[in-house]
Amino acid sequence: MMKEQMTLTFPLRSEFLTTVRLATGGVCSLAGLDLDASEDCKVCVTESLLILKRNGYRAAELSFISEGGLRVRVHGFEKEAGVPSEEDDISYALLGALVKDLALERQGDCVSAIGFAFGS
Amino acid sequence: MEEEINGLFRQYRETGDVSIRNRIVEKYLYIAAVLAKKFVGRGVDYDDLYQVASLALIKGVDRFDERKGLQFSTFITPTITGEIKNYFRDRSRLIHLPRRVAELRVSVKKAADEILSETGKKPTAKQLSERLGVSEEEIVRAMEAGGVVSLDRPVESDDDEGMSFYDVLPASDDYFEALEINDTVRSALRSLDETERKIVRYRFEEELSQTETAKKLNVSQMFVSRMERKILAKLKEELKKSMAD
Repeated sequence: MMKEQMTLTFPLRSEFLTTVRLATGGVCSLAGLDLDASEDCKVCVTESLLILKRNGYRAAELSFISEGGLRVRVHGFEKEAGVPSEEDDISYALLGALVKDLALERQGDCVSAIGFAFGS
Repeated sequence: MEEEINGLFRQYRETGDVSIRNRIVEKYLYIAAVLAKKFVGRGVDYDDLYQVASLALIKGVDRFDERKGLQFSTFITPTITGEIKNYFRDRSRLIHLPRRVAELRVSVKKAADEILSETGKKPTAKQLSERLGVSEEEIVRAMEAGGVVSLDRPVESDDDEGMSFYDVLPASDDYFEALEINDTVRSALRSLDETERKIVRYRFEEELSQTETAKKLNVSQMFVSRMERKILAKLKEELKKSMAD
């Protein structure tokens, strides 16, 4: 299968999340994910963005790479002050429960990028 | 904080005192609420998800062993998430949506079940769009539509200024007790056959008289009366069994 990529860049504000979820649903559909995986992927994207937001990022880039499955990576930029919160632990555990290969990248104490994959 | 919680878990393990378990559950109920909110928009009410999550939390407290050195929040999150996902698999149902979207969601669900039974695989949005003759975008939008209700959205009322829908959700003091009773009764009801369940619905949910129930089922009032006695005995037996467990 041909490798295809799509990238979205947007401010990390809650009013953008529905649009991002819709776009994610569309991408999952293009990548051939089943409905459950599609819904789980949307939860993971939303959760990752919320983690970045709580860690002080004001904008994010969301990349999808479709290649016999779907690889997703979100990374934050325009960093302001932000500290890891207790809620982050629940978010990481939730991501860990929904995906198998969760990858976290850190800058200092804060997580700056999150990657995961769905499908084979 | 962690020491205090571990102390509670230790006490609960040693004594089995339900009031200690409830104290632990109360401390972590916010996790059930947080996780239930994450799954709103898939066609199941928040209240139902919260109940499922709360029950998973109660069961999780029973299973957790603080001696293994794991934090309870790290332990319980995948447990609750797993239970919520099982619930979706078992009995998803619609929430209030605009009619066209709601109808499409019904069709999507039906088509998804059909494709699953035909191919043994869960369908993609493309397969569903081909089956239903609507665009993939519409399929995706119908699936997404439930997500438009945000519990964080402010309540538009003078009395509840500054509060979110989540803040004004009703709570009950006897929540845990009611939750366990509901669960036990629901399990007991599963032991009934279809006619028996109908009688329970007419007599105890819709509060019809025995004569009205008999008319609905096209049987005699005497039959309903006899069945009612039999059903109550059966339920009593099932409840006794589950109490013993």
